[in-house]
This record gives sequence, structure tokens and C-alpha cells, in this order.
Amino acid sequence: MSMEMMLATYEFQQWLYREAKLLDDIDFDGWFALMHPDIKYSMPVRVNKEGIERPDYATDMFAFHDDHHLLSLRVERLKSDYAWAEIPPSRTRRSVNNVRIEEYVPNDKAVVKSYLLLYRSRSTDIHHDLVSGERTDEFLYVDGEWKLSKRFFVIDQTTINTRNLAIFV
Amino acid sequence: MGKPEVRLDEMTREEALRYLNETMVPEEGVIPAYILSDPTIYKLEHEKIFMKTWVLLGHESEIPNKNDYMLRDLAGYSVIISRGQDEEIRAFYNMCTHRGMKLCRADHGNKANFTCPYHGFNFKNTGELIGVPLQNDIYGGKLDTSKMSLNKVTLGTYRGLIFGTWNDNPQPLDDFLSDFKWYLDIGLGRTEMEVVGPPQKFIVHSNWKIGSDNFVSDSYHTMVTHGSIAQLGMVPSATYSKKGYQVHTDNGHGCLIGMPNPDFPFPEELKDEYKAHLTPEQYDLISNMKNLIGTLFPNLSILVSHTKVKGQLVSNTTMRLWKPVGPDKMEVMTWFMVEKNASEDWKYRSREAYILTFSPSGIFEQDDTEVFTDITAAASGVMPFAKQLTYNYTMGMHREPVTDFPGPGVAYGDKFSEANSRNYYRYWLNLMNS
Repeated sequence: MSMEMMLATYEFQQWLYREAKLLDDIDFDGWFALMHPDIKYSMPVRVNKEGIERPDYATDMFAFHDDHHLLSLRVERLKSDYAWAEIPPSRTRRSVNNVRIEEYVPNDKAVVKSYLLLYRSRSTDIHHDLVSGERTDEFLYVDGEWKLSKRFFVIDQTTINTRNLAIFV
Repeated sequence: MGKPEVRLDEMTREEALRYLNETMVPEEGVIPAYILSDPTIYKLEHEKIFMKTWVLLGHESEIPNKNDYMLRDLAGYSVIISRGQDEEIRAFYNMCTHRGMKLCRADHGNKANFTCPYHGFNFKNTGELIGVPLQNDIYGGKLDTSKMSLNKVTLGTYRGLIFGTWNDNPQPLDDFLSDFKWYLDIGLGRTEMEVVGPPQKFIVHSNWKIGSDNFVSDSYHTMVTHGSIAQLGMVPSATYSKKGYQVHTDNGHGCLIGMPNPDFPFPEELKDEYKAHLTPEQYDLISNMKNLIGTLFPNLSILVSHTKVKGQLVSNTTMRLWKPVGPDKMEVMTWFMVEKNASEDWKYRSREAYILTFSPSGIFEQDDTEVFTDITAAASGVMPFAKQLTYNYTMGMHREPVTDFPGPGVAYGDKFSEANSRNYYRYWLNLMNS
């Protein structure tokens, strides 16, 4: 791997770690500031297919399919007095790993894949939920910063083992 | 009634049912907490309700082509639903008749035959056994394959909805749906509707009846549980959900109809199609309808929701199953449905509204599942049974039904009531006694 790609990989790892920290710290405004105005934030429904037919996710149904406006609604809602699904907020712990750069144009655009393992604990419940999957993220470079312009999260479960997705992936 | 000396699981079936009948009085709005958590009740309702009645399996539009199939379950048993070469839809227990292995393990696909992964027995999607490896040699030509067809599931369809039952002598589906068809027509049959994509599935640590009950009668909770929606400006006010009608029919079914509505939140260009599919009374109602929320007994809920997204009003239609997985656990399956002949733009916006509001990430859905989970936890274990904790379902008992409502069933002129829940639980109790 070239020195340039090593540095870029490190840079995006740090970006993703920082993002995870903002979400785990319930700093939704801080997180939302990382989004590009053209953000496409989606999570398709995972399906069981015969054999190795691909893709093994739906192309027409999603658990998230948000643009900048819809994501902002979710963030605003979480700050309202009635967001019961997150009162008290879930304790989440996002482990981001296997970060790989797929495409990289310095100071312009990047496509980065990563794995996410998300631990979620609600209130006094002794159960915990685990959400695991792979992200394909696209970044655009704006005013000296990388902003997330596309996220495609493919979850590993076909039946999601968490009561709702009041959290971000 | 006295304090129980023993827990339900220590009683005989007769004693447990007698105790249930003593402690549960739906007519008076008395529902004991233990029915949302007790394992004995759960076992009895599996036998007496889910093994006996009609349960939704899916929608015809999910398997539109010859040889399309999908995997669903009926009362916890895996079922293959297949559209044959002859266009007929059939369903079979997903079990090889040789040694019981699951024949199919994909969610959906297109196949004329199913081959068992254990010994290679091969079945046509009409259920016939058509291939046995080395048959003549190992069975000496004596295997009677005509007696080894797949076990057939009894199906019934209405307006594209596919129902199944394990009951050998079921009440005809038409009789079971009865008057509620008038409301199903408006909700899911107002024109040709199609399911988009696979259903979403997620697990909630809740008793399944809380979902059915919430959709059958509870508009009251929307003010508080869904208070965030009013704050975000997606609905006009916190009390928007009070005006309209609450209606129930025989067999535990019921719905809530929000009205009036100055807007028409459906595709304008489909007005003629609506008129062709509906009676003038039904069309008149849908033209003034804000939303429709209801439950078809036991666990299918339907929803026509109407919200403002990006400054535009749009309706979205969904159905959902509250599938029991255990006394305190259910799998929620949600389908998005849309008018087949709507414009692509309208379908896109309607799906967007659905995902934002009633998918697993939906900002309505999220808060409901939080409530369902906590209610179940509070009902569980020894204490709620020993202390004979009950719920109060008396809301609206002072009201008289209205006489000028155009639809069948018993209608009340206000959505805030628990009349539909009393009706739902009355039927639930009837079946438990059957």
C-alpha cells in the first residue's frame, strides 16, 4: 500500500471513530454536522436467497432511506420531549473496524467500506441488542473537511433483533 | 373471586380456563394483567386461537409470476406459498414427507420444484412427489409416491390477502371476515394494491396482543406516545387523533377512522379506480378520511396513515403481523402497500413516508414498541398474578353507538374509547373457551 493510501486509510479511520464517538455520546447535532447536504442514508432489508444469488438484500425496501431533510427530522425528534424510544437514551457502543478504501481522489471524493458492530443497552433491561453489518460510505471534500454524502448499511440479520431503529447505524 | 392458591401452570386446563373466566370480564372493562405474560395462557391461545382461526400469510402481489414462491409461517410452522404453473396459489408445510427436513430455506424465489437437502426427494410446486433418488433399486418399486405429497395448508384469499389455517373444518373465510370486509376494502382493497419489497421483520420483547389491541382501539395514546409528531409539524395538533369513528364487528375485528379531512391524501388520478372498486358510501368515506387504523383478529393490523412530509401531504398504507414468539416476545412483520397504478413519483413519496413513520426506524413505530416492551415487563412473573392486577378498559362505556354511520358493525362517534378492545377480548375469551 502506498504511503498516500496508508495516510488516507488512517484519516478515514479517525473520521469514523470520531463519528462513532459523537453518536455514542448522544451528540446528534455534532454528528449531523458531518453530513453533506446531498446525503443519502439507506439501509436495505436483508433477505435469505437461494444459493449465491446476489445481492442478498432488497433493492426496493429499506429500514432507512433518508436524505438530509429526513435525517434532520430524526435528529430534531430525538431532541423533543416525546422521543420515548430514546428516553432514557440507549447506551450504545459502536465498534468500527476493517476500514478499507475503495476509491480515493485526494481533496475530492472517497469511497470507504467498514464493518460496524453496535451494542445497544436500554434502560434497566439486562438484555442487550447487537446490530452488525457492513457500511459503504461515500465522502465529498468540502471546505477542507470530508463530509458523508452516502451511507449504505447492509445489516447481517434478516429479522432484526432490536425493538426499533431509534438509533443511527 | 378468591385469591388463587396455585399458579396457572399448576392447574388443570379446566381449572385454568375457569380461573380465566372468573378474572376476565371484557364487558365490564376488566382485563387481568397475567394474560399478557402467562405461559399457560400463551400455550392455550396457540392451540385454541392460532391453530384454529385464519391467520394472514401474505399478499398475492408478493408472488406475481408463475413458480414464484415465498416462505412464511403459520402459527409458528414454516409454510411454502407457491404460485403454480397454472397460476393457482397453494401452500404446503415446509417439511419433506420422507424424513421431515425443511425443503426450502430462502425467503422467496422462483422454482417449479423443491428438492430436499437430506435425501434429494423432489416435489413439484403442486405438492406431488416426483423424484426419489435410486427409487427402483432401494424401494423395489414399492414406494407409493402418490401418498407422499406435501402436507397441504388450507388457504383463503380476499382482495389479494392470503390467509391460511391449520383447522380442518374452519369457519369459511368469508364468514370470518364478515362485516369487516367493508373496512378491509377501504384499507387494502380500494383499488389494485401491491406490496413493495420484502416485509420488514424485527423482534420486540412484548406480548403480541398489545400490538393488536393498540391498533384495534387505541387512538388515545397518540397524543402522548406520538407527541413528537405534532412537535415536528407532521400532524396538525396533539389531539388530531380524537375526531372520527370507532367501529367494531363480529369476531373481534375493529378499526378507527379519522375524519373529516379537507385534503385528499391519495393519488388524484386514481379517483375513478377508487369509485369502481368501492361502493358510493365507501368512496364518500375515504374522500373525507384522514386515516384508518384497525385489527383483523387475531394479529393482523392495517393502517392507512396520513402525514406531511417535506411540506406535502401523502398517505402510506401498511399492514403488519404481530407474530407470537413467546409469552413476552413477538416478531413484527410490516409490509408497505401502494396503489399499483399510482405514478412512480407518488409511490416514491408514499414509501418515503412509510419508512419515516412506520418501518422499524419509523418515528411513530419506535415509541410504540418502547411502550409495548415495558407493559409486558410489568405484567410478567408471579406478582401481577398473585396480586390480581387488572387493567381498566372502561373508556367510552357511557357512549351509545351512532345510527347514521354508513358502514356495518357497531360505530361510535368518537375515536377515544375502549369499546373495540372490549369486543376484541370478548372474542378472544370466546375462542379460549371453545
